Amino acid sequence: MKFRQTYLLTAAGLLLVLQLLTGCDKLKDDRNSITDPFLKITLLELISADPQLSTFREYLGKTGYDIVISSSKNYTVFAPVNSALASLDPAIVNDAAKLKLFVGNHIALKQYRTADIKSETRIEMLNGKFNNMLNTSVEDAAITTANKYASNGLLHVINKSLPALANCWEFINSSAEAPAKQKAFILSLFRKVFDTSNAVITGINPLTGDPIYQPGTDSVFANLFLNRVHDVQKEEKQFTVFMLTDAAWDMENTKFRPYYVTNTADSNALVTGWHVVKDFAVDTLYKPGSLPDTIVSKFGTKLPIEKAFIVKTVKTSNGMVYIMSKMNVLPASKLKTITIQTEFYSATSHDRRSNTFFRDRYSPVTLLDFKDILVYSHGVSLFNIRYDVKEVPSIKYKAYWVAVNDFQTATFQQKLGIGTATSTILGYVNVDANNFNEVYLGEFTMSTYSPVLNIYLTGANSTTAAVNPLVCDYIKLVPSL
Amino acid sequence: MKKMKLIESLLVVTLLLSFSSCKKIFDIKPEDQLDISNAYQNVYDADAAVIGVYGKFMGLAEQYVVLNELRGDLLDVTVNSNEALRQINTHEVKESNPYASPKPFYEVILNCNDVIENFRIMVRDKKMTEDQFNQRYSDVVALRSFLYLQLGIHWGEVPYVTSSLKNVDEVKNPTNYPKVTFNVLLDSLIAVTEAIPFKNVYPSGTNLNITVDGYPTEKFYINKRIMLGDLYLWKNNYQKAAEYYRQVMETATAGDFGENYYSQYKLGWWGTGNVDHDVVYTRPGDASTLVYNEGWRTIFENPFNSDGVRREWVWVLPFDSKFRPDNKLIKLFSPIGGDYQVQPSQRIYDMWDGQTQRSNDRGQGIPYDARKLLSTMNIGGQPVAMKFLYNYIGWNTSTASNPLLKNGKWFLFRQTHLHLRFAEAANRSGKYLLAWGLWNNGFAGAYPAPGSDVTNYHNTLREPYPFNFDGRNSNNGVPYYRADWYRNIGIRARANLLNVSIPVADSLLSIESGLIQEGALENAFEGTRWADLLRVTLRRNDPSFIADRVYEKLIKSGIASGSASAARARLMARDYYLPFKW
Repeated sequence: MKFRQTYLLTAAGLLLVLQLLTGCDKLKDDRNSITDPFLKITLLELISADPQLSTFREYLGKTGYDIVISSSKNYTVFAPVNSALASLDPAIVNDAAKLKLFVGNHIALKQYRTADIKSETRIEMLNGKFNNMLNTSVEDAAITTANKYASNGLLHVINKSLPALANCWEFINSSAEAPAKQKAFILSLFRKVFDTSNAVITGINPLTGDPIYQPGTDSVFANLFLNRVHDVQKEEKQFTVFMLTDAAWDMENTKFRPYYVTNTADSNALVTGWHVVKDFAVDTLYKPGSLPDTIVSKFGTKLPIEKAFIVKTVKTSNGMVYIMSKMNVLPASKLKTITIQTEFYSATSHDRRSNTFFRDRYSPVTLLDFKDILVYSHGVSLFNIRYDVKEVPSIKYKAYWVAVNDFQTATFQQKLGIGTATSTILGYVNVDANNFNEVYLGEFTMSTYSPVLNIYLTGANSTTAAVNPLVCDYIKLVPSL
Repeated sequence: MKKMKLIESLLVVTLLLSFSSCKKIFDIKPEDQLDISNAYQNVYDADAAVIGVYGKFMGLAEQYVVLNELRGDLLDVTVNSNEALRQINTHEVKESNPYASPKPFYEVILNCNDVIENFRIMVRDKKMTEDQFNQRYSDVVALRSFLYLQLGIHWGEVPYVTSSLKNVDEVKNPTNYPKVTFNVLLDSLIAVTEAIPFKNVYPSGTNLNITVDGYPTEKFYINKRIMLGDLYLWKNNYQKAAEYYRQVMETATAGDFGENYYSQYKLGWWGTGNVDHDVVYTRPGDASTLVYNEGWRTIFENPFNSDGVRREWVWVLPFDSKFRPDNKLIKLFSPIGGDYQVQPSQRIYDMWDGQTQRSNDRGQGIPYDARKLLSTMNIGGQPVAMKFLYNYIGWNTSTASNPLLKNGKWFLFRQTHLHLRFAEAANRSGKYLLAWGLWNNGFAGAYPAPGSDVTNYHNTLREPYPFNFDGRNSNNGVPYYRADWYRNIGIRARANLLNVSIPVADSLLSIESGLIQEGALENAFEGTRWADLLRVTLRRNDPSFIADRVYEKLIKSGIASGSASAARARLMARDYYLPFKW
């Protein structure tokens, strides 16, 4: 009897557990099921349901983006109301590629909730361009109905469309509005630039071990303006670019031509044009309302901006282009003081590393520590150190140095050789004991522009240690206009 | 039922029977661990006990460095530092702070007490000789005094327990172990340490002074005379302090007149080239030729069995991946293989930058102390205090060649500590020029001879012991003379720095402040800074001495000026000590 009782009890218990388990299923269903109707529909369905977005819905269908925003990724769609699309250029509507670019400029592959965008943020759109969003505004449009959600993202209804603009480079390169002469000059700056990223290696040089590239694959055709000033093709950054009307361009070039004298007119024009144009792009966005009266370029040149001379203001997808009828850049601003830190030299006339002292010193004049170079007891007449100075304009310079003789009481002499080590343009100058001040060395005129100018620090014509030391903290060449 | 009862009763009987024999059956001594009853059988067991105490003592390394340096003005917290370290740094210590707990110190102290008690039993039972007892007992007592001195320095009033307790928490019972003031504690420590019967290092060749795993063990143990010198210096008994320090300074003044005779603990040069511990430039004047692979930096990298360690270090313990404990100092200091929780303070950089090196025939001196470049490195853009890391991170690679082998050393005391403290005592005894010479450019520099006859110069033999030094060196003059201290070059000259000129009117305080400053420049991060600052603060009864320095560190570190001022105010109110809680 006892045994049977136990069995029965166990069986009853099992049944109870089973019953409970089956009941659980229903409970679980109720708690975890989606009840929000908006999470059951996609962005496309959400847009389709809104009659004032019907035009945008139609364009989505034409461009294939309707399939994209029905997929399971997360998107933010900025949907312009019908009235904002009524005036859209038929040239865009009727061109499949342009329409795709246009519609793609309204969809971002991430969620951007208005409350989260507290400072201006560049958000990437599906067409590769970027729009600036801040709170409830995106570019020039205002978000009228914000943060409507669906299963695969957010929908903002906006009151204006977001045109897919050209970027700064596209404007310079292909817009009819871009002034012809500056445009032609910038486009003339395409050069072959060594770049192995796409190169095909055909062999290895048995002597040096260097790779041999298939001709034509080891370089890319790149523009110096994009390489050395700013890459104004980049969509994610923002730039301000200045273009001069043809007359203004000619005026600036005429003004600067004497500072970049070369032996042919063509190269003179090229060098001058480059030095004029290199200051005309900055990687900061200055909107017309906040344009200051002076902008400092990447190369430290001050650009005077007089609003009266702004002929045209062009908004691009990555900044602004201002077309100006005059931009009077002062030569004093463009032609810089050249400072040579002497411990970073290019070469010495003889190998005297063991006589060369890189010294750490304290200056009672500037109250700062500095590093200088001393070559002592080298035993060579006219020992010299060479410095390569790049892009020196054809102007008059005043030369200075700081040379601290704190190692001997006797005065000695050294000089600056301009162009050659023994050049007599500047004479020998005394280096007195314990003088921490800048010493004026004289002036010299560069008759032509030098892509690379050699400057030499040259010692006395003697082999005596106390007579021929070289010491220098820095050399300074100040333009004298 | 009846059957059951029978079985039960049988069981009970068997159980009862078995109890009687239990003692023999179950009282088996463990085979892989030493039972206390077998621990102290002969002198080798006693040696093992001493080594055991030091092994446990090494576990205090991290706390010791944190308390003595981070509370001071040379070490600062980093972005990685935890709340506990930040509290130590700003002197706002909460009771739960693990670095502020005296418990780890008492654990080692009770260990010492236990060992001492057992040594007494051993010598009573003739398990070791009187001589053997004296050596080991003295060592353990001196170490215990060192721990108590640390407790006094950081916690002020602490219970002084000299009996062995099974549970460390009994120390907290105020009825059995009342707290004594720092001053009373010093008296007790001097009494007990002065009374130890053996003040030398262990005789070489004995079991405790041999070479194990490549490590000569001589430097492992506390130097009792330095301990006594320190105690007397804290007690402002300058004569006695100087006597004990002098005895250590003369450690090598015995036997042959070899290199060691003139250089060990005498701050003397040795060898050819740059093997000794000078700051040198291959070509003086060329700042880019500072010697890293030899000279001053190698004080912290030299192998244990080298002349460098023998002549520089008085007390240093090794961390080796082959044995415990782990090297916590790498965790503390290193950005590689560690947590980088502390860094050199801006204040110590500024102090180094405020020095000028000796001029040479290539111009005036370099405008900073080269020990800046040798004590710290910039690793990945972060300033790192390197002294404890040179055995781990290569000075020339900035990387750990073997990241998992966390070898290193715990530096406790070296000859510059010794000379600075002797100079401190000498200065307070009125021997200003002697103190200045040890600090600047040695006896020959402080007592220069006008000609080649040095008979009456280069020495202080007219002074009474312990201030009578003979540093005479006639070079090639007649009479030809080389005295015991002729190689002494002074701490600043060794570091290639200009001498400090001292105003005559205020030589006592100027020299004392200068010695403390030199302690920062020379011995930064080595774990003696807070003690040096506090000792002078107490002696002068001038809390601003310590408060201003800590304030300057905090304010230069960029911390909110409110916390820096709060820390200063607390120290100005003579609140130097940590809460005694665990």
